[in-house]
Amino acid sequence: MNYVQLEKLGEGTYATVYKGRSRTTNEIVALKEIHLDAEEGTPSTAIREISLMKELKHVNIVRLYDVIHTETKLVLIFEYCERDLKKYMDVHGDRGALDPVTVRSFMYQLLKGTAFCHENRVLHRDLKPQNLLINRKGELKVGDFGLARAFGVPVNTFSNEVVTLWYRAPDVLMGSRTYSTSIDVWSCGCIFAEMISGVPLFRGRDNQDQLLHIMRIIGTPDERTLRKIATEGQTEGQAQKQYPRYPKIPFTQVLPKASPQAIDLLERLLQFDPAKRISAAEALQHPYFSTNTPIYAQPNPFTPALTTPQYANPYANPGSQQYQYPAAQEAQRAAAQTQLALAQPQVPGAGYGMQYQAHQGHQPQQGFPPGTR
Amino acid sequence: MSTALYPLASLAQIRNTPSRADGIPEDLELDLRAYGCKLIHEAGVLLRQKQVAVATAQILFQRFWYVTSMKQFGIGDVGMGALYLASKLEECPIRMRDLINVYDLLLQRAAHKLKHPPAPAASTSTTLTRTVTHDFKYVPMSYFGSTFYDLKDALVVAEMQILKRLGFNVNVVLPYGTLVNYLRLLGLTEREDVSSRAWGYLNDALQTPVYALYAVPTIVSAAILLATRHLGIALPSSPESCWWELFDADWEDVWSVAGYIMRLYRERSPQDQARVLGLVSKKAVRAWLDDHQPIAPRS
Repeated sequence: MNYVQLEKLGEGTYATVYKGRSRTTNEIVALKEIHLDAEEGTPSTAIREISLMKELKHVNIVRLYDVIHTETKLVLIFEYCERDLKKYMDVHGDRGALDPVTVRSFMYQLLKGTAFCHENRVLHRDLKPQNLLINRKGELKVGDFGLARAFGVPVNTFSNEVVTLWYRAPDVLMGSRTYSTSIDVWSCGCIFAEMISGVPLFRGRDNQDQLLHIMRIIGTPDERTLRKIATEGQTEGQAQKQYPRYPKIPFTQVLPKASPQAIDLLERLLQFDPAKRISAAEALQHPYFSTNTPIYAQPNPFTPALTTPQYANPYANPGSQQYQYPAAQEAQRAAAQTQLALAQPQVPGAGYGMQYQAHQGHQPQQGFPPGTR
Repeated sequence: MSTALYPLASLAQIRNTPSRADGIPEDLELDLRAYGCKLIHEAGVLLRQKQVAVATAQILFQRFWYVTSMKQFGIGDVGMGALYLASKLEECPIRMRDLINVYDLLLQRAAHKLKHPPAPAASTSTTLTRTVTHDFKYVPMSYFGSTFYDLKDALVVAEMQILKRLGFNVNVVLPYGTLVNYLRLLGLTEREDVSSRAWGYLNDALQTPVYALYAVPTIVSAAILLATRHLGIALPSSPESCWWELFDADWEDVWSVAGYIMRLYRERSPQDQARVLGLVSKKAVRAWLDDHQPIAPRS
């Protein structure tokens, strides 16, 4: 293997993650080892993660560099990030709560990454602090696409078992299977509130309890909205279910530390009715992000010791405190990084060299040989 | 770079498929592709699997043969692997044992049919799979027997090979939504006969390689063309205002897809029909190639 395996970083249900170093570039990477068991074949989480992430190249999405496929295991090589947002909040926060400048920077990057996924027709479906990674430069990157899926024409019904409970949208809790991008937006809202206060906003024990937690804060929606969501989700019978009628508690009361503009954005992200929820792209245009303090000039949230020039990240720009964003830096980065080398004959069989040409649904085709056969 | 992109075979892959490079004639390859897809379809019906998963499996199966030769992998194993994989992708996973049992039944039935061909008179125009074999009795495999473990290994390998050789490009765009849109645009939604016929052509086209060769709008246009022609419905087709141009489809391509589909319905000799039954495994294909050594690969 082209990578030296270093210490273990964590262990999940189906994979073990190690720190690794590239033998060729010395770059530090994360190696996610997935054991292939004969009972289920290739895990669907791994299939999703690879098939979706290899296409998603963005500063705010953890980059998948390479995949190594052997008889017994599958190793995914990811961009390395120091820690996840959960840990970051524990270490740098004031009892978990982050300072407003950091919150705004992270929120902007989270929405950027999410909007990019949605633009490319990918639903993440499991956004939560544990899945958002933060590197030394204070860049936030969306990771763990194990539950993600591509969406297209909405003829499919999706699995109802998505998103960790606390970040799950009310329409999904009510059984919707035709959800779309709005489900990720809800999770973004929950994460936003959590960064401000330091604690998760809605902490239910189970599906029903979670729904009640949500209603206790944002209020029970009117009968018509409830009925609409229940029928849209093809869960007849649910509409008849009676929910306690909770009044709305103003977010200013729940999050006294938040600025009026933060509250306004949160309000739009956490709409009970998915149709009324703002999109990630729209949220980026919200005045919360365009106030006088320039968003990129945030002080580096890491201690200075960590950002000294010894840090051998080839993309780091130690001289500058500026968080460059996004085009120039991204181009630089893209040029320097190894392409996802799926096409390299890492595996015997060499079938990888499939020179497929990509075609999009309704676009006029380019490069397709019409009638030449 | 959108994930809505789906891969299509390159010209070189189409001109000389891996199977043809190994000496398998073009018509045999097409027959085996079609038969492999029929098996996937039948297995899907028996498993009560959703059509989205079955169609996805058939498209992955068709793509696979542009990067792999049928001498290397059998259509039975790959079909099984494709259906297993597609069921995961479409979030309606199936149990490995169920799938294996169903394939075992289908393959036993095929073997039976091969040994006891139906009387020639009975097999005039019916397709192969529809001929009923009365005296067939399925013998279930033993629970811990080696048949199960052999098939299971083959299934796991097939799934992994599909992923590997397709470079994890497993995104599939199904044509149904597009068909509904186009029929609406052409004002044909009132004609139920048109929609159900066109829908049927789209499903039958899954037995041909077209989903790995042409973009969805082209295939849908071909299905509409066939449906409207069969029903004698005129659509604007004079230069300057050809209906298929509305959908960015080239006439030559539409015509070619229609040709692939119509080819499925041609009369087949009982020999041709029986030929594919015996070539489900790579072993059988290799034996066939040895027997047919002198035949040089076509062009």
